[in-house]
Amino acid sequence: MTKFKNIRHSKYFNTFLWIVILIIAWEIGATAVAATKRSPENILPHLSGIIKSIISTDTINGSQTALQMVLINAQATISRALIGFAIGTALGFILALLMSRFKTVEKVAFPYLMIIQMIPILGMAPLIFAITQDISKSRIIIAAILTFYPVATNTLAGFRSVEKEKHELMESYAANSFQTYVKTMIPASIPYFFTGLKISAPMAITASILVDTLQGGVGLGCLLSQALKGAMSRYVFWQIVFLSAFIGIFSFLLMGFIEYLICPYKRRGKNQD
Amino acid sequence: MSTHKKINTEAVKSVLYPVLFGVLIFLLWEFGVLNTILHTDTNILPPPSRIASIVAENSSKIADNLSATMTVILIGLAAGSVLGYLAAMFATRFPYFGSGALTVLSVFNAIPIVALAPVFNNWTKDVSSQADVRSTVAKILVVTVVCSASMSINAYRGLTELKPFSLDLMKSYAADNKTIFMKLRFRNSVPYIFTSLKVSVPTSVITALVSEYFAEYRAGIGRQIRDNISIAQYSSGWAYIVVACLIGIAMYIILMIFEGIFVKRTS
Repeated sequence: MTKFKNIRHSKYFNTFLWIVILIIAWEIGATAVAATKRSPENILPHLSGIIKSIISTDTINGSQTALQMVLINAQATISRALIGFAIGTALGFILALLMSRFKTVEKVAFPYLMIIQMIPILGMAPLIFAITQDISKSRIIIAAILTFYPVATNTLAGFRSVEKEKHELMESYAANSFQTYVKTMIPASIPYFFTGLKISAPMAITASILVDTLQGGVGLGCLLSQALKGAMSRYVFWQIVFLSAFIGIFSFLLMGFIEYLICPYKRRGKNQD
Repeated sequence: MSTHKKINTEAVKSVLYPVLFGVLIFLLWEFGVLNTILHTDTNILPPPSRIASIVAENSSKIADNLSATMTVILIGLAAGSVLGYLAAMFATRFPYFGSGALTVLSVFNAIPIVALAPVFNNWTKDVSSQADVRSTVAKILVVTVVCSASMSINAYRGLTELKPFSLDLMKSYAADNKTIFMKLRFRNSVPYIFTSLKVSVPTSVITALVSEYFAEYRAGIGRQIRDNISIAQYSSGWAYIVVACLIGIAMYIILMIFEGIFVKRTS
């Protein structure tokens, strides 16, 4: 009984409860839709229908099952998102370093970092595609831009968060600026850096899928627009919706997990609570 | 005296440097150097003067699309923020049951817009027989979902991360929940509301633009960007991009002004 009580009071049980509530709400909706609509799978299919389409072995375009098709396209999208994400992360980190090291760079770049946050980069996707004329390049570029500025601004905030006393201590050790960065500044910026990564990881994925929709070929977004037009089973559409939701959420959680792995102090902090 | 002067030159530098950089880029762009660097012609990347003249020529058409997009952004942002705040209040009132709800909501935050937009299009098919009305409703709903997630998480922190012992003080006055909310929690949450809006204002703009791509009815700035570029009308596409950027910047500046007014007073 006490064991049950422990489970009931844990954080995970509570979240689990809400997921169950959502599933029930979805199924009630699906039942209502199925009773009134001619093609319910277009609006709200039963979850069982979606799962059935995932495990089904029927081929939908002659050679691939629905799941194989979705996964092959997902691979193309995610790999481009990853490249863009990596480039954006590196550039963002380097810019933050330069901005904290050289006042002039900070003065020039900071206002533009603020402005780039305000303008809708994703809306420019068709244009970047027109300039590069290459769908893979534009995926990488947009994902990189979207990753770049959250990483740069958050990492810079991390560099600034280092207390004056620590700088004074390093000075009293006669540490040069390289040592100061390696020993105090960079370690202090890591949690901020990961905040930036957590913001930008789902954005890179979104960007990559969106750029897909601009042109035919391979990619989740491309498959999504084809499925919407009715070129194949509607369940392909639902699989993509769930998969992209899953990838978005997973990328966020993955960043948290990596942070947990490489930041021992974060684990210690948790135990103290 | 000398320190005063030094501060002044620093302040001048922090304005002058970015402005000079901006002017440099502008000149490179206007005189075609950017086109050479990016290997594009003036058709795909027209100079700023040409974009400006196109904005001026098509001002009435742009205004129509602008109002379509702004309707979606403003209603969606307002509805999403209110819903998110209500969710946070619910979670504060019923902490055990509510915290799980917030976890689930924050997870919604990570769902790509490209997956949400077509789903809401499907769900709003019966809202109205007119395509423009139901498309607008679908777009507003997408913006609402995206904004409510960010608001609920931030507002919950604002409502619960109170100053030490302030809650005990209120309890010792035998204050009821309503009084605690009005006098303590709400005031404490105001800066957090603005933190959330700083995220959700730019997000609402981008969400509105992207959901226009998927909408049944062709209207709005985002749709115009895409349609103009897909028929190789790059200059018009650029004109709409400039408008989109101006929406984002203007809304952010308005938000900063409001933050300046409200956050100072409460803190």
